[in-house]
Amino acid sequence: MRSTPPPAPLSHPGWQLIPGQLLGLALVILVALGLGSMLITAGGLDLSTVFNSRYLRGVVWFTVWQAMLSVLLSLALALPVARTLARYRRFPGRSALLRVMELSLVLPTIVAVSGIIGVYGRQGWGTGLLNEWFPGHGWNLYGLNGILLAHIFFNAPLAARVMLQSLETIPPSRLRIASQLGLRGWWLWRSVEWPALRPVLPGLSALVFTLCFTSFAIIMTLGGGPAATTLEVAIYQALRFEFDFPQAAVLAVIQLLICGGLWWLVFRQRLESSLLPNRQLSHSVPLKPWPAQHLLSAALLLVFSLFLLLPLLAIGIRGLPALLALNTAHSIYEQLLPATGRSLLIALPAGFGSVAASLMILASINKTKNPIMKAIPTTTGYLPLIVPPIVLGTGLFLLLRPGLGNHTQGWVLVALINSLMALPFVIQILRGPLNGLDSHSLRVADQLGILGWYRWRRIYWPLLRRPMALGLAYGIALSMGDFGVIALFGSPGQPTLPVLLYQQLGSYQVSAAAGTGLWLLMLLVFIFGLLSAIGRPPAHLQKKRLPEAALEPKHV
Amino acid sequence: MFDVKHLCFRYPGQTDGWEYHFSLAPGHCVAIHGASGSGKTTLLNLIAGFLQPDSGTIHWEGKAIEQLEPWNRPVTTVFQEHNLFEHLDVATNIGLGLHPGLKLTPEQTKEIQQGLERTGLAAFGTRMPGDLSGGQRQRVALVRAILRRQPLLLLDEPLTGLDTEAKASLRSMLLEEKSRGVALILASHDEDDRKLLADHYWNL
Repeated sequence: MRSTPPPAPLSHPGWQLIPGQLLGLALVILVALGLGSMLITAGGLDLSTVFNSRYLRGVVWFTVWQAMLSVLLSLALALPVARTLARYRRFPGRSALLRVMELSLVLPTIVAVSGIIGVYGRQGWGTGLLNEWFPGHGWNLYGLNGILLAHIFFNAPLAARVMLQSLETIPPSRLRIASQLGLRGWWLWRSVEWPALRPVLPGLSALVFTLCFTSFAIIMTLGGGPAATTLEVAIYQALRFEFDFPQAAVLAVIQLLICGGLWWLVFRQRLESSLLPNRQLSHSVPLKPWPAQHLLSAALLLVFSLFLLLPLLAIGIRGLPALLALNTAHSIYEQLLPATGRSLLIALPAGFGSVAASLMILASINKTKNPIMKAIPTTTGYLPLIVPPIVLGTGLFLLLRPGLGNHTQGWVLVALINSLMALPFVIQILRGPLNGLDSHSLRVADQLGILGWYRWRRIYWPLLRRPMALGLAYGIALSMGDFGVIALFGSPGQPTLPVLLYQQLGSYQVSAAAGTGLWLLMLLVFIFGLLSAIGRPPAHLQKKRLPEAALEPKHV
Repeated sequence: MFDVKHLCFRYPGQTDGWEYHFSLAPGHCVAIHGASGSGKTTLLNLIAGFLQPDSGTIHWEGKAIEQLEPWNRPVTTVFQEHNLFEHLDVATNIGLGLHPGLKLTPEQTKEIQQGLERTGLAAFGTRMPGDLSGGQRQRVALVRAILRRQPLLLLDEPLTGLDTEAKASLRSMLLEEKSRGVALILASHDEDDRKLLADHYWNL
């Protein structure tokens, strides 16, 4: 009998269980403190102030209305796009289109808004065409139009990717039967597609609703006035300009009640489906087309691609001259480089923090069978969806207001909240690979004594290095693009990139704003590219894949 | 000598359970067969430590092992499938059986290569499990189990679904282990496996 090697480092179960529990508790306490301080400041909760004020009633109604419309329109566009992409798995540009769709999760809102203004604003290309073809059309980007357009720009691709992922989980055998029976149209939808999409729709709708409900930068830039103010913006105004803390607290509580209530309803449905797009794409099964389907599908994808690409193109075309103008008296880089440094200073710790926290939370969830000990880290992972960052920020702002003496403290807080904001997304990215080992493999690992550090190093690390790099990229990107929390805690004199961009847009420095937008976009692309390269497994471990044609029988 | 005494187990919510009572000498093989759900895999899981018995004892050389964690028990299991970590190459999969942190001595590295050569897989050390046939994967799993040099091998349908050639190769490896004094507990539906390898039969 071979002698038993010494126990693996960090193999005590506590190493997996306790950090996640402590972190979960700390974050729950942090949120509770934030909310508590808000309620104390409000001097009790008098929600009647909202119902007695016509302005505040209007704010609540508009927030809900625009979010509902955004959900409906985003899903209405996403559904045919997802169905088309699920059906056509091999066409030139499909992969590029999917990558652009993924951008919606990380593209800083303020950057996208500058691109949208470049296409649909008063001087935009799209508006120019509209003016030529339909003079006197009355199109105005600012107000509900612009808000909905921007929300669809962000959320339709996200929804389409999630729906596509669900459609791709349909077992090939079921698709083959549908193909053999020649199912199409309503029957294909009812018997094959709807059962696959139904489980994901409540969570997806809630996610899009929450993102639109708590939208900040879009409302600030495209809202166009008090008529189009949302709760998030009203909280910011109450805090930053009117110093009306009780009103901010009451509004934050209303926001919390609506978001919390919504997610409570969703969790009651036992949400299991992933809400983040998966990069794995399965093989295709040919289905019977209806007349002119190829033509209509091509047209739909073309319009959708243009809808996504034109604002990005506008950012590039308008921003490039500003970035290349190195010889002017006031170079754009004088502001850009310090802002980049500040953004990275906040985003890097936020990104690393969100990945580390996600790992601790997932390890703790996996290790315990106790329902309460499972609930603490699980709740923490979803907390930012229930308690929007601006609400948390408001509470902490009120709690720490007397002590927040310098920028550094404010930035630490911003990094912390940004890190928390990214948690639900990073957890979704890491959960699959971490839970991907089947029970037999785990038993083999147990029997071989691959525990603690050894299990992490030998079993999980090869599986997780790529998702961790992706999670880190998402964490950094979300923080780099943050405009909500930084607007609350940051200083206008020391802006981060999104704040600088907002200031430039607000002072009509169109060219400089375009340059800043492009710079931020390039920075994010660079970060994603770099982390994607770092996360790639060594060449000899990359699995060789058979060409798709070899996996599928030919359709005759 | 392995002694299993009045080892009882019942799954939660189940009215009937199992009780196992037997001894097994080194170099002997017992084949257990029975319908699906008859308790073959449950017995192997109890001995391996993947399940905790309600009562009873398991002794090896007079020492009680039923309270030990799976990694401290003198047994190695070979399942019907999923024995290998799909994202690790063949040599790493075997190496983890020798040291869970893959801190291998030059002798151990040589042992791995020799094990692969003995089973006709000399050129497969850097291949991923996904690139191997079912028979080759089981041979890799068995090489790892053999190199762990534990006195008891638990075999949960290890030859099911393999072609004749692969089965013959694995059977000869198992016979060789038996002749070295390793005790085998084989759960199998295959009459030929039982006839060739087993000294005792149990019908559960």
